Amino acid sequence: MAVKPCGSVVDQASFQIFAAIATSIVLEAAPFLLLGSLLSSIIAVFAGDGAFARVAKKPLPVQIVIGLAAGLVLPTCECGIVPVARRLLKKGVPPGAAVPFMLAAPVVNPVSLAATWVAFQGDWSMVAWRVLLVVLPAASLGWVLAAGKDSDLLRPTLDMAHDCGDGCGCGHDHAPHRRLPGRLPNRLLDVLRLTGREFMDMGRFLVIGSCAAALCKVLLPQAWLAPLSANLWLAVPAMLLLAVLMSICSEADAFVAASLSMFPRPALLAFLALGPMLDLKLLPAFLTVFRRPVAWVLILVPALMVYVLCMSLGLSGVMGGPR
Amino acid sequence: MNARFRSVPPSFQDRVEGAILLCLGGLMAALANSRLYWNFLNPRFSPLTLGAGVALCVCGLALILRPEPGRGTISRLLRQAALLGFLCLAATAWDQAASLAPPAGFSGPSGVSGTQTGQPVEAAPPLKPEGPRVTKGGVEYLRLNLAELYIMLDKGRTDYPARFALRAHLTRPAALGGQALLSRIAVVCCLADSLDLGFLARGLDGVQDGQWVEVYGRLEPLDAAGKKAAKTAGAGRELSLRVVNPSQRIVAEHAEVIPAPDPPFLFEFREKEPFAWQ
Repeated sequence: MAVKPCGSVVDQASFQIFAAIATSIVLEAAPFLLLGSLLSSIIAVFAGDGAFARVAKKPLPVQIVIGLAAGLVLPTCECGIVPVARRLLKKGVPPGAAVPFMLAAPVVNPVSLAATWVAFQGDWSMVAWRVLLVVLPAASLGWVLAAGKDSDLLRPTLDMAHDCGDGCGCGHDHAPHRRLPGRLPNRLLDVLRLTGREFMDMGRFLVIGSCAAALCKVLLPQAWLAPLSANLWLAVPAMLLLAVLMSICSEADAFVAASLSMFPRPALLAFLALGPMLDLKLLPAFLTVFRRPVAWVLILVPALMVYVLCMSLGLSGVMGGPR
Repeated sequence: MNARFRSVPPSFQDRVEGAILLCLGGLMAALANSRLYWNFLNPRFSPLTLGAGVALCVCGLALILRPEPGRGTISRLLRQAALLGFLCLAATAWDQAASLAPPAGFSGPSGVSGTQTGQPVEAAPPLKPEGPRVTKGGVEYLRLNLAELYIMLDKGRTDYPARFALRAHLTRPAALGGQALLSRIAVVCCLADSLDLGFLARGLDGVQDGQWVEVYGRLEPLDAAGKKAAKTAGAGRELSLRVVNPSQRIVAEHAEVIPAPDPPFLFEFREKEPFAWQ
């Protein structure tokens, strides 16, 4: 969209801006969602049911640590994390590992960490605080939800209810999914078809979330930001809300946060910590993939914990005031 | 509803979804090869978009050519509708971008160039690659883009150039009472994370609202009124989040009105010379 360069909407229909922003978010996130869907499908087709049994036998603290650290070897952003987490749960990965992985991997991965470091001028403290503020809620939820099985967490009303053991998640009859063992071409074909269906399934949330984020961007008056930034009590909730509404990819959000230098650092950390765990793309996905109580826990607990932790940082003076 | 679904061939659902994926993949691949790509994403991501588009096409073909029997459900219908809706939205956005973009090879209208306030204007040459430094009136200016200058200041660096040349879009927002604001939209990934970075400016009284300008100048600290104005410059509904430098103003020592750069957004930001002069 050839926007007026100053960004003014004086001569632009709001719909045009809405369409351009929604399209750009989907186009940006689609490759990562596809990657997540592909990972999910590879796990479904190639990983046997016992592949993750060793993780389930570990003590809970070890499960949580494995989940938190998995993002370092399975780098992904929040755009594609839900299908992977869903598949891991279906394949027997305990919630104690799968939930921390789902919440932490978008931040605890090399790309996101490097982006944060660069955006904040090599300030390791911002990187460390961001990781800590994500790891704490992720580990806590892993601990809380560890007692359940995958069926306690995942909604049966999804097409996953028709799952035939390999977790196709697409409402298919069971017979066709009795894979021909050992035939690599057949398995690769299965991977392609599953990837396509998984992308379709999660893509709707991406589309809905992107449209909602674009709508917020069009309607949100920016004049509100300046007065909010002056008061810690307002700045932290404002940045939490902004993180959810803007739905920026975890690999780019640090640059936006760094530019909002009028906000105090705890508020910037709130933006950086919550966005990858909860945004308008993840919200409908949580509500549809997980059972309703679990989804609300996934939505509310990280938001509350990040709020409390960032306010504590701000009030205690650990992070200081505005940069 | 489900009874109706059951009346269609068992492989119908897979074929429909395959067709949707094929369309989406095709759109992504085509857009990645389009000169309009920058309207949505930073051009450095075009290979990623192209790769994902091709991969989606492959997945779509697998579903079309080797479908499996499956039940039609409301859930599947909804996801098909969501993706189809997005395809329509994306086509609209693309069409809008195409209708507003100049034809390929068109370098924009001939700009008029002027100097400081009240000086006569003259035809300006079209934008073209130039060296990292330029001399005007015996003074050497370092070329950089507005975002690079903004980032240097934001980082607290003191080694920013004393004299610089940059290209920017000039506006006179009502909130600033007619004061000049020089700005550029900087895009890291996509439009959603774009920032409209700006500086208040003076010495540009001869330039009209909405014109593109090449400014040769320096920085001066904002006074209290300027700092207050910088905070209010971001009001209104805009494509990008507007951030105006809260402490410095650009003083134009010389200025030329220029054609709009193509693309007008900034996608590259360097920390040292040679800067990404766009």
